[in-house]
Amino acid sequence: MRPSYSRYLAPQPARRSLQKAAAGPAKPSLPCELSWHDYAVFLLHVASEVEHALMVQYLYAAYSLGGAAVAGIKHEDARHWREVILGIAKEEMGHLITVQNILRLIGGPLHLEREDYPFRSDFYPFNFVLEPATKDSLTKYVVAEAPEDWLKTKEAEPIVERASKADKGRAILPVGALYGKLIDLFSDRAALTADDFRTDTAPYQANWDEWGRGYGDGQRGNMGLESPRTTPHLLVMRTTDRHSVLDALHSIAKQGEAPTLDTGKKDPDEKSHFERFKKIYEAFPDRNPPSRNIPTNPTTEQPREDEPKKHGTLACAHITNPRSLLWAHLFNVRYRKLLFTLKHAFHVRAGDATDRPTARGNLIAWTFGEMYNLRSIAGILVTLPLQEGGGDERAAPPFEVAYTLALPDFDSDKWRVQRDLIQASARLITEIDGIGIDEPHREYLRALRDHDRHELEVVETLLTAMEEQEANA
Amino acid sequence: MTIRGLRILPPLAIARLGSSPEPLENYDVRVAENDPPGFRKIHGAETLVVDRHSGTIRRSYTPKSIRFKDRQGRVRPVAPFLEVWADVDGALVPLTAALLAKNKLTIDDVEWRAQVGNHKAFRRTGKAPDRIDADTGWFRGHRPHPLAGQCENFLDGKSIPFGDVQFIRPSRRFPEIRLRFTPPKGLIYGAVARHRKADVADIVYDSSRGTWSGYSDDDAVPPLIVTNPSSIYANTGDDRTTSRGYLDDECDGIVEVRIVTSRKKPLQAFARIGAGPPDFAPDSFPVRTIADDLEQALLGPDPKDDEVSSAWTEEIIRRAFETVRLQNTAALNGNPLEGGVANSMASQDAGLGRAEEPIMAPAIVDSLALQALHQSVFAALRSGSAPWFGQVLRQYDDVGDLTDRGRRRMPAMMRGSDGLHLALTRRQRNAVLGSGNQQATSEDARAVTFTAPTTPPGKETE
Repeated sequence: MRPSYSRYLAPQPARRSLQKAAAGPAKPSLPCELSWHDYAVFLLHVASEVEHALMVQYLYAAYSLGGAAVAGIKHEDARHWREVILGIAKEEMGHLITVQNILRLIGGPLHLEREDYPFRSDFYPFNFVLEPATKDSLTKYVVAEAPEDWLKTKEAEPIVERASKADKGRAILPVGALYGKLIDLFSDRAALTADDFRTDTAPYQANWDEWGRGYGDGQRGNMGLESPRTTPHLLVMRTTDRHSVLDALHSIAKQGEAPTLDTGKKDPDEKSHFERFKKIYEAFPDRNPPSRNIPTNPTTEQPREDEPKKHGTLACAHITNPRSLLWAHLFNVRYRKLLFTLKHAFHVRAGDATDRPTARGNLIAWTFGEMYNLRSIAGILVTLPLQEGGGDERAAPPFEVAYTLALPDFDSDKWRVQRDLIQASARLITEIDGIGIDEPHREYLRALRDHDRHELEVVETLLTAMEEQEANA
Repeated sequence: MTIRGLRILPPLAIARLGSSPEPLENYDVRVAENDPPGFRKIHGAETLVVDRHSGTIRRSYTPKSIRFKDRQGRVRPVAPFLEVWADVDGALVPLTAALLAKNKLTIDDVEWRAQVGNHKAFRRTGKAPDRIDADTGWFRGHRPHPLAGQCENFLDGKSIPFGDVQFIRPSRRFPEIRLRFTPPKGLIYGAVARHRKADVADIVYDSSRGTWSGYSDDDAVPPLIVTNPSSIYANTGDDRTTSRGYLDDECDGIVEVRIVTSRKKPLQAFARIGAGPPDFAPDSFPVRTIADDLEQALLGPDPKDDEVSSAWTEEIIRRAFETVRLQNTAALNGNPLEGGVANSMASQDAGLGRAEEPIMAPAIVDSLALQALHQSVFAALRSGSAPWFGQVLRQYDDVGDLTDRGRRRMPAMMRGSDGLHLALTRRQRNAVLGSGNQQATSEDARAVTFTAPTTPPGKETE
């Protein structure tokens, strides 16, 4: 964990004793270097990282399900579980975007970064690990998303114990606790005053009409044989004041992290993440999971001779097959492009969209496009060998975080980064194309290259317009 | 080798108007291998050159490139051939002079007839004298037979040329029995009194006899919605949308062939022909075409498992972004633009009592952004991903759903022939859904989709 985070989470005996002495209801503990407003920003950053990390781990687990080794009825189960977990991952994306909206409202910097593995803090539910879905890994997800009341039940005991074992003996921390803390903090009018809420940020927040693309429950995705009625709502909530922040935090908690047992019962179509994971866990086989043979924590880093040997969940699986490695790098570039474009969109004002091409409209479309690209490249990676020289183990998406996701100060420079990312991607595409690949993959690369070429034209147009604007300013 | 019956193929041929005397050459449209989401490529195909005077085919060749206009800038018409095929002992074979001879028949035994009409004015006024019809009567021989559109309410001696048909003289090299329909030029004809001279090629309609000039949809008796949207005819721009009495030379009808034999009944067949406007975007296809509807009528709404394929879904997505490429999507969405809000589904929905507002969030409908999004979907399909967007496609019975949710389904911002929001055919939609299910359950399924959670039937019952 980064020291910049850990020192705010370390025990602070002096302040604890002061708080103990104070009269009145218990307040969240305030780290001594921070103001309440600053602390709210800090907790929202933690929430962003947690949502981001959960999303990535759930995606990885979902990607692992299925494959040629799974047959018969198991295949239908694997497909079903995969879609349920992907749906949850998509909802975590919605949570992540909503948390950015709250950061916008209180004037905090947006935060889409996350630490590479391993990391841990008092709010992170479990050690970050990209691993195929197993009964053990599912216990961690169940407990992390569990309501507090359920954790005290008899039913919970063996699952909590198994989850802890799966996380190297550490107790899993339910995500609901973090949202509980945020709700307490935002409810406290003495801690966060009206002055902490900006009233002019709505045009710089994500909204449902644009990011939900206006679809209602179950209308996006849900391609299987199932009824769309059973698909939960994607939360992309714009915030304008304390009340709307609390509404957003309660909604996130209810949908995913479920702070109490009293959730979802009145509306069986709107099941919490906890309920959905528990259902999968109960049906999931103890042995021979319907998963692909993909590694834990794949990385594009190459092994060094002097590298200390790591074990268990902290170990990384080096992708050494040259072809797979290039695809993995391409995945990382597109992952970075997804996050950067998402962040970039938050910096373009929503308006009447009279400019053409519209910067905001294109950035939103590209963000969705990158989600599709991640799906496509991950789908290819899990069919390619992990190591040079073959073997049964397959590669997998590494989800490695870029050195920075910070946006440059000048608007024109933001478009330059977009151009950089397209160019980096183009180099990799050319390299992959040059080493001889299967025809279906070549067709995808051609389509991606041509899509990027069209996108680059738009980037150049917007960049030129921005440069002219800055020169005349 | 007994001829049991005749067929004309294709059974439906659509000509395209053009004022050039040189018909357009034949071509194929193919997806560009090195630019999959780019424009389709137009490739010349075998073209027959007809001597109009003698009716013979002088030669055939394959053009290296296709020019849609002649050197004078006139649009080259698409003039289709209709070929006669014979049912010989259960097999369809081209009818030729040799086959006729084997059946003790000659070319001179072959008779043709073409009947076409333009009923646009008649459909609105409801008065039979406003029908414009042309009939060649049965004919033999190989000279062109003009299709002169006659109408009771025309000025004496006036008609609208609807092109002509010509029985192509078979030769040793081109022995097949075929007819060519050469469509009219694509001209506008006017009525006495209301026309603007610059608009019309000729004055044909007698306003003292008929009511087409001065007609308004408001006058329909009984009051009917004649078309939806209404008033889609050239009008003076007043509140009543008063018709200028204009007519065009588009037409459609039937071509028949018959051979009188010693049998009781002659051998005969028919096909449909029509003449529509030129294709101004020949390298792009609409997301739903007449061919899709005919296919559904012929084969039903549910494709068989072995008919469903990722290529079919890919073609639908390709046509979607080709359609977007041709549209001003910001205007079609009802975004406020310079000069106000365009006539679009957003404004037409208001005519049905709905509040007038953009269909999608205004910022996300930029044509380039939508093209990029569709191309991303296209690229993802090329990677082998199962399509995940089937539920977003509008169902055929939801075309009148004017809620935000209903209007935002795909295809969006486009009007169907019933005036409501466009839907794919059920067969097209089922092909996408079927392809998704097929890929998602296949052993080699890609693991990855960004789909929402789903529940197989019966799995989620509490």
